[in-house]
Amino acid sequence: MPGLHTIVCLKVVPKSEEVSVDPETRTLDRGNARSEINGQDMNALEAALDLKDTYGGRITILSMGPPFFEPFLRLGLAMGADAAYLMSDRAFGGADTLATSYTLAAGIKAIGGCDLVLCGEESSDGATAQVPPGIAEWLDLPQITYVSRVQVMKKARLLRARRQLQSGYEMVETLLPCVLSVKLGINEPRFLDFQRWEWAMEEAPVTVWTAADLGLDEGYLGLPGSPTAVSSVGAAPSAQRRGEFLSGTPQEEAQQLLERIRPLVRLS
Amino acid sequence: MKRATDEAITLDDAYWERLMAATDGAIAPCFQCGVCTAACPWGLLQDEPANVRQILRRAQLGIPESDGAIWWCATCRACEVMCPRGVPIAEVMLTLRNLAWQDGAVPKGLSSVLWSLHWDGNPWRRPPSQREAWTKGAEVKPFEPTDEILYYVGCTPSYDNRSQKVARALAGVLNAAGVSFGTLGEREPCCGDAAYGLGQHDYLRQIIAANVKLFAEAGVGTLVAVSPHCYDMFLNHYPRENGLQPLHYTQYLAQLIDEERLRFQEPLEAKVTFHDACYLGRRNDVYDPPRQVLAAIPGVTLVEMPRNREDALCCGGGGGRMWMETAAEERFANLRVADAAETGADILATACPHCIACLEDSLKLAGSPMRVMDVAEVAAAALGIGRSAQ
Repeated sequence: MPGLHTIVCLKVVPKSEEVSVDPETRTLDRGNARSEINGQDMNALEAALDLKDTYGGRITILSMGPPFFEPFLRLGLAMGADAAYLMSDRAFGGADTLATSYTLAAGIKAIGGCDLVLCGEESSDGATAQVPPGIAEWLDLPQITYVSRVQVMKKARLLRARRQLQSGYEMVETLLPCVLSVKLGINEPRFLDFQRWEWAMEEAPVTVWTAADLGLDEGYLGLPGSPTAVSSVGAAPSAQRRGEFLSGTPQEEAQQLLERIRPLVRLS
Repeated sequence: MKRATDEAITLDDAYWERLMAATDGAIAPCFQCGVCTAACPWGLLQDEPANVRQILRRAQLGIPESDGAIWWCATCRACEVMCPRGVPIAEVMLTLRNLAWQDGAVPKGLSSVLWSLHWDGNPWRRPPSQREAWTKGAEVKPFEPTDEILYYVGCTPSYDNRSQKVARALAGVLNAAGVSFGTLGEREPCCGDAAYGLGQHDYLRQIIAANVKLFAEAGVGTLVAVSPHCYDMFLNHYPRENGLQPLHYTQYLAQLIDEERLRFQEPLEAKVTFHDACYLGRRNDVYDPPRQVLAAIPGVTLVEMPRNREDALCCGGGGGRMWMETAAEERFANLRVADAAETGADILATACPHCIACLEDSLKLAGSPMRVMDVAEVAAAALGIGRSAQ
């Protein structure tokens, strides 16, 4: 095996604190929000770069979204990815997780497959965590979700992942190729490599695909391909903080704090 | 027992060439006297501090540094003022860091600081939409080209709860002096000091290019900065052809006092000692303006610490050290607070948000009744404004 070929699925999301909810239509207003690469996807990309550092190979970035995503994909190239594909077509608009995962799976097939698909656990704007499992199902590949650590036994084409759960973790093994979704904050994404900057911004290949380019069935795409409908949206009451202040020396404050917290948590 | 061959070092010519090019030969004059190592404040706190001379010698030979020693430097330049050969030691440290970025050999946590700069425009991982949160209760308007000055607040005074008080105090003082000023509000960019201090020179170039354009479009002329770090960036790292005239706020207040636009009438009875920030003093020779401001306040008795001006001890927060952890017992500021306490001062005044943070942390450890205040806060208190600023 000449090294791993990893495809990282990456989404550009509005900065969450800048998104507001229209009180009448109850839809998200992203109009004035700045964008960023979804945090979990940055972790997925770093995990892929780390595997590339260790085992060699190449990384392809895949995304579905409007043309303004392109400069964000180029940041991924500057971090160390080798190529990027952007699936961009009005026909993809309004996709739910079924249509999104179908489209991305079609993109992965069109790229020619890979050894490993790495995704973020969920997007900060959609927050369903359904797309990575959807991709795995469309491609009929094994999947491991909520991954916090990855090891590859290259010769055996075996992957071992630590799957982080609320109550602990599982160690799961599967054969490559497979699909992983990684948890937020499992690593520290490396900063831009400016030795790659000019190449990434100007020369690097970012291929834009429309539905027609791949001959996709429009019935599976965008709004027509999305059985999910949001029937209503409610506002969750925000928690009121008590804003109590402790006083004393740092040691006394820490002691008081511990006494307050102790009944609320189980300390093992 | 280790054999000598275990210790043998292979010289890396390629690294040597990169280093010489990156430092522009700046390390060549070093003749290994070791004054830098002796002058380095880490020697006051650690048993085996980073050996500055050794770092320079390795750099001269082209031996890559591998034990993280280059990341300790707070770029305070205590070594440089003593160096008989005029080696720009702090710049060499930052260049070595730049090479470490290129080689992907950077300590944990620092990439996140730069991503924060990239996504949020500040190194504190705070939303850009909250950049104006500090203005609550202050009279501040958007900058117009007809204003006398652009009030450049900077990231730390914009977001850090403690330094927000300084930003508000200074706005109050400027208003009291009748200065027409404005800020860039949410559009205010980071000056790039965090990228500079962490040695990310390539990213810094991008930040500067974008900011030069933004300032030109906004019609910025005289820029008054709260932080000596921002002032130093604008003064020494930005091109000046667009008429950008950076001032530290203490310089501007001293000027307002000279022009009799800023007058202190009520006495403020306090014994005050001034801590020179490295980026104001050693880097830019701004020693007198902050003292002039304090001396203009009736009732203020100014006392000096033995280590003052060029010999001042660094707070430990420069050169990106604000974003690296320092063990509580190894902080320069512990010694600095003790220096100040020995003068019997009521107020330890300084004029830098990083110094404020470091000195106040150490003051908490020391449990001294002395207070750390920014010169702007002392001025505001003397004018009886910005009670919340205290």
